Amino acid sequence: MPAGHGLRSRTRDLFARPFRKKGYIPLSTYLKTYKIGDYVDVKVNGAVHKGMPHKFYHGRTGRVWNVTKRAIGVEVNKQVGNRIIKKRIHVRVEHVQPSRCSEELRLRKVKNEQLKAEAKAKGEVISTKRQPEGPKPGFKVEGATLETVTPIPYDVVNDLKGGY
Amino acid sequence: MGRQPIGSPYVKAQKTRAYFKRFQVKFKRRREGKTDYRARTRLINQDKNKYNTPKYRLVARFTNKDVTAQIVHASIRGDIVLAAAYAHELPRYGLEVGLTNYAAAYCVGLLLARRVLKQLEMDTEYEGNVEATGEDYSVEPGETRRPFRCLLDVGLIKTTTGNRVFGVLKGALDGGLDIPHSDKRFAGFSKDSKQLDPEVHRKYIYGGHVAAYMRTLIEDEPEKYQSHFSEYIKRNIDPDNIEGLYKKVHAAIRADPEAKKSEKEPAKEHKR
Repeated sequence: MPAGHGLRSRTRDLFARPFRKKGYIPLSTYLKTYKIGDYVDVKVNGAVHKGMPHKFYHGRTGRVWNVTKRAIGVEVNKQVGNRIIKKRIHVRVEHVQPSRCSEELRLRKVKNEQLKAEAKAKGEVISTKRQPEGPKPGFKVEGATLETVTPIPYDVVNDLKGGY
Repeated sequence: MGRQPIGSPYVKAQKTRAYFKRFQVKFKRRREGKTDYRARTRLINQDKNKYNTPKYRLVARFTNKDVTAQIVHASIRGDIVLAAAYAHELPRYGLEVGLTNYAAAYCVGLLLARRVLKQLEMDTEYEGNVEATGEDYSVEPGETRRPFRCLLDVGLIKTTTGNRVFGVLKGALDGGLDIPHSDKRFAGFSKDSKQLDPEVHRKYIYGGHVAAYMRTLIEDEPEKYQSHFSEYIKRNIDPDNIEGLYKKVHAAIRADPEAKKSEKEPAKEHKR
């Protein structure tokens, strides 16, 4: 019999629960709130059968566009042929985690606001732009003795071991 | 495969190292046998489109000598208790004996409800059922604010008809809280007629079942009555004035439900 291409085909390992994490899922999953515009990661929880996304979306990150009673609408990019389509799926909250992709940006924003406020108070002008890593600075080598090395004339007799 | 040290017979160890490596522990509170997670997930789960609105539960727990009733809502950092009432506070309102019976449970529920409503400044709007009749009473929405809604959380007890947790529930309902319920499990509901007999329920709320037992003991086994109800006798509580006692307690609770902070001496400093 041929393999079949059902909805959950080839997901034996993908949807399996990790080792020693089977059974009840921790309640913090249900207590998290999601607002429209948040970034979320889609990660299927095999223990909950309702509201599972298709296996393509496992591991994708998208933005929330809708919030319903028990599920969240996520807008995910999918490449179809030669273009990328924004696909809107609905996923139960058990299969969704808040994404940390914009965490660094948010923290940096807060820090920059603070730096700018401080600079304004002092009256200086600062740039909060990130700079890429530059070349390593120059340094002096300590305790070096100079040894000049010159080539020595080629001496056939000495260099050929054991004669000709 | 592990073997016992030399000296014991040739026994194969049942719990090998491999067993422990694969063993998945249950959640801590499940191991302690204190939390039913199946019920808890269903009680806590709030609609996502209600965002951060708290979902309150009325937690009723019984120990051997005390009754605890709390209004709790869940958060990721831990559950937050809005208000709590205990049976050991009832002596303040005039009830010193029988702190874990149905009538006391009703008092605790009533105390908690009045306390919460006072805390939220809704107590004048939602008086609840002032005269406990044992009938099924549900709060009607008032003018300005909607009634305080919470869900009963029984914990691990078996929800049989006439259980004391439903005494707590009835007390809270009569106090003015909005709790979805049915009268199927109140004391006095008969399976045959599928109806709640409010007279029987009222008897339980006012300790009538205790009074009846006292009467039978006085007649048949006076020594047992003396030993069993010695604390009642010490306080001159007869089967006839039990109902009056509880009526006074209800009135005292409605008059001043606020929690009183207990004066605690600072902990003794121990010299190491």
